[in-house]
Amino acid sequence: MNRPTIRAMLRGTAMAGVVAFSASAVAAQELRTNIPADPGMIDPITYSELVAGDILDNVYEGFVGIDAEGNVVPALATSWEGLDGNLGFRFTLREGVTFHSGRPFTARDVKFTFEQLLIPGNRGGLNARYLDPIVGAQAVKDGETTDLEGVVVIDDHTLEVRFSEPDVLFPIYPFYFMDAGVIEEHGEDWFNRVSAGTGPFRIEAWNRGQEVVLSAHEGYWGGTPQIDGVRFVIVPTGDTAVSMYEAGELDLVYAADTAIRRILRDPQFDDERITAPAAQIQYLGMNGNVYEPFQDARVREAMCLSLDREAIIQGIYEGAAFPLYGQITPGVAGYNPDFPAMPHDPDRARALIAEAGYPGGEGLPPVKMQTTEPNRNLNLYLASQFQDILGLPVEVEIVERGVFIPAMNAGEVALFHWGWSAGFPDALYFLSQVWYGPSPYNRARWQNDAYDALIVQAQATADERERYALYHEAERILIEDFGTCGTTMRMQVAVKKPDVEGVALTPFRFLHFGDVTINR
Amino acid sequence: MLGYALRRIVGLIGVWFVAIVLTFVAVQFVPGDPIVAMLSDQSGDRALEARLRAEYGLDRPLWVQFVDYLRNIANGSFGLSFRYAQTPVSEVIAGGLLITPLLALVSISIAVMLGVLLGVFAAVRQNSWADTAVILVLVTGISIPNFAMAAFLVYVFAIQLGWLPVAGWGRLDQMLLPVAILVIPPTAYIARLTRTYMLEVLSRDYIRTARAKGLRQRLVIYRHALRNTLVPLLTTVGIIFGGLLSGTFVVETIFNIPGLGRMAIESIFARDYPVTMTIVLLFTVFYSLINLIVDLAYAALDPRIRLGQERGT
Repeated sequence: MNRPTIRAMLRGTAMAGVVAFSASAVAAQELRTNIPADPGMIDPITYSELVAGDILDNVYEGFVGIDAEGNVVPALATSWEGLDGNLGFRFTLREGVTFHSGRPFTARDVKFTFEQLLIPGNRGGLNARYLDPIVGAQAVKDGETTDLEGVVVIDDHTLEVRFSEPDVLFPIYPFYFMDAGVIEEHGEDWFNRVSAGTGPFRIEAWNRGQEVVLSAHEGYWGGTPQIDGVRFVIVPTGDTAVSMYEAGELDLVYAADTAIRRILRDPQFDDERITAPAAQIQYLGMNGNVYEPFQDARVREAMCLSLDREAIIQGIYEGAAFPLYGQITPGVAGYNPDFPAMPHDPDRARALIAEAGYPGGEGLPPVKMQTTEPNRNLNLYLASQFQDILGLPVEVEIVERGVFIPAMNAGEVALFHWGWSAGFPDALYFLSQVWYGPSPYNRARWQNDAYDALIVQAQATADERERYALYHEAERILIEDFGTCGTTMRMQVAVKKPDVEGVALTPFRFLHFGDVTINR
Repeated sequence: MLGYALRRIVGLIGVWFVAIVLTFVAVQFVPGDPIVAMLSDQSGDRALEARLRAEYGLDRPLWVQFVDYLRNIANGSFGLSFRYAQTPVSEVIAGGLLITPLLALVSISIAVMLGVLLGVFAAVRQNSWADTAVILVLVTGISIPNFAMAAFLVYVFAIQLGWLPVAGWGRLDQMLLPVAILVIPPTAYIARLTRTYMLEVLSRDYIRTARAKGLRQRLVIYRHALRNTLVPLLTTVGIIFGGLLSGTFVVETIFNIPGLGRMAIESIFARDYPVTMTIVLLFTVFYSLINLIVDLAYAALDPRIRLGQERGT
C-alpha cells in the first residue's frame, strides 16, 4: 500500500474542510459567475475543453484577441507581415507586457510555448494542432529535438515563424502564451501553484468541485482591472445557477440550455438579459453515399425547402435561436450579411421531388435519421415535415453520443441535423473543416471540385478582402448545389445584475472580464 | 461475539472483491467510448484516437487492464482520471470524500430521532386526529420526490424569504436545506415503522402487566415499549442508509455540494470511468460498513442472533 497517497488524500480532505468552513463573505468588488463543471485543466498546454477556456481566456493571451463583436484585434502582437510565398510570418510583439510573475513578455516565451505544446508526453491540447505547418514541428513531436527550428527569435520583440506550407490564418489562432521562466521557478507542476499568463487576471485558487478564483493582475498592459477578481462558482445544474442569481449569490450567469426558457419568459429578467448568436453553424446533413436519392440535387433542394425555420425557432427553441441560411455565422470573419434567405416552400418542394421521379414520395426508400437524446424533439419534428411534405419515410433513431459522432464522422449516417462550433473567428473554420472534400469532418460527404479549389486558394490568400470574396463564392456554390442548408444558430443567453458593467457576450461566449466594473 | 464479528468482516472483503469485479465488467458494457467522448466532434482522427488509447492504457488486453485496476486500488491512487489531465482519481475525489458520509450520517441521525418521536407520538394517540395528521404528513413526505421538494423549499426559503442560501457548501446555513430534503423520506419511513411496531408492542401482555402494576404512561412507553420497538427498527436503518446515499446524488446536484454523489453524476456524463468506478466502490464500502455495524449492534442487543449464528456453524 502506498501510504503517502492515502495520507495526501486525507490531508486534501482535511484542508478542503478547513478552507470551506472558513470561507467568509464575498469581497466587495468581485465578479461572481457560474461554470457548469470543474475545468479539465488550468494550464495553457493541455488545455482542450470549453470550461477551461472560459477561465483561461481571462488569464492567458495570444497574438490577437477579439472585441465585443467578435472582430479580431491585436493583443500580444501589434503587427505582422507575411514572409515570401506566404511561407511564414514576422511578428512584432507588444512591448511593456509583463507576466503574472512580473517577468517581461518576449519572443522567447512564444517559442517556448510552441515547443511545450509539441513536446511528446506534454499532452499538448487544442492549440497544438495549429502548429503543424511550422518547419521542424514534426521533429519536436517525434522527440528528436526540443528546439522548434521554424520559430526564430530575432530580438525581444520580433519573431519569425516559418512554414513548410502556407497558412494565412496563423496570426489569428487563439494561442495562450506562457511564461518561459515558470517551470524553472516552480517545477513541472507549476500550474498547481501559479498562473503564467499575461492576461488581466491570475489564478488564485481552484477548490475542486466548488470554485476557481481569479485575482486582478496589477500592471496588465490593457490597464489594471477595476475589480478585485472573478469567482467562477461551479454550478452543474442550470436551474440552480438561475436561482442563485435571483437570490443575489451570483452577478452573472451564462444560461445552460435547460435554463434559457426560464430566463426568456420571466419578465423580472427583462432588463438584465444579454443575448448573442453563437459562432456555431447548424445544418442538415444528407449523405448520398448512404442514401442514394440524396445524390440528386433536386431531392436535396426539396429537403431544404421543406424546412420551416421560423417554426423550428418558435416551436423547438422557444425563441432562443436565429435563422441560418448559409454556412458562416455573424461574428466570424468572412460572414456575408447579404447572403440570400431560403424560403419555406412546400409546393416547390413537392414539385421538385416529383421531378426527381418520386411523385408524392412514391418510390423513396425509408431513410434513417440519427440523433442523440437531447435533440429528439427537433429531429422528430423535422422527420414529420419531410414525411408530410415530401412523403419521405423517415425513421428517427436515438443513439448514444459516443456512438453517433464517430458514425457521422465516418460518413455512415444518411440523414442528420448537427452543428460545428468555430474554434477561431474565421469562416475557414466552417468551410474547410465541414464541407471541404478531404476533411475528416465532412460528414455528409458532399464533394464539389470548384468548391474544394476555392478553399485551397483561400488558404493561400493572405489579403483578407480577397480571401473573404473566395469564402462568399464557396458558400454560394455549397448552398446553390444544396450540399446542405443552414438551419438555425443557437442563441446564447446570459443574465447580468444591473450594478455590473462592461460584460460582453460575443459569438465566442464571454469576452475576458478585464473591463468589468461593479458599483456595489 | 468476536468470532461472529470476524466472520462478518471476512465476508465483507469478499463482497468488496465482487464489487470490484462487477464495476470493472459493467464499464466494459457501457455504450460509448471514453476516448470518443474526449474528442467529441473531432472524433474520427484515427491516429489521435490510437495515441490517446495508448496513453490511457485502453489498448491493452482486458486482463492486463484488470490487474492494473487492482494495483491502482491497492496503491490508493485508483488510477488516472480521464477528464482531468494527469490527475489521479484519489486527488479528484479527495474533496468530496468526507462530505457525502457526513451528509448521510447527520441526516440519518436526525431522521432516527425525529422518526421515533413522531412514531411514538402517533402510536400512543392511535386513531385520534393527531395520529391522522402525523400519518398524513408522513405519507406526503414519502410521496413528494426529493427534487420537487428541493425546488419548492429553495423557492420559499432562499428566493422569496431570503433566509437561506440557494446552494453551495461550507457554511452551516448552506447545510440546512439539503439535510432537510435528505431527512424527510427516512423520517417518514422510520416514523411509520415505529408506529406499527409500537402498536404491536403496546398490545403485549407485559405492557398490560406494567400498566396493571400502576406505572405511569411515560414510563411504560419509554422503558418498556420503546426499547422493544427499537430492536426491529435497527435492522431497517441499514436499508434506509442505502436510500440516503442515493438521495445524495440528487441533493448534491441540486444544491451544488461538491460531494461524491455530484461527482458521480459528473463523471458519468464526462465518461470519466475511473472516477465513476471508484465512487461506486466507495458507496459499496459505506453501505456494507453500515450494514456490518447494524448487524453487530443487533447481535449485541439480541443474544438470540449471535448465539444462533454460532450454533449454526
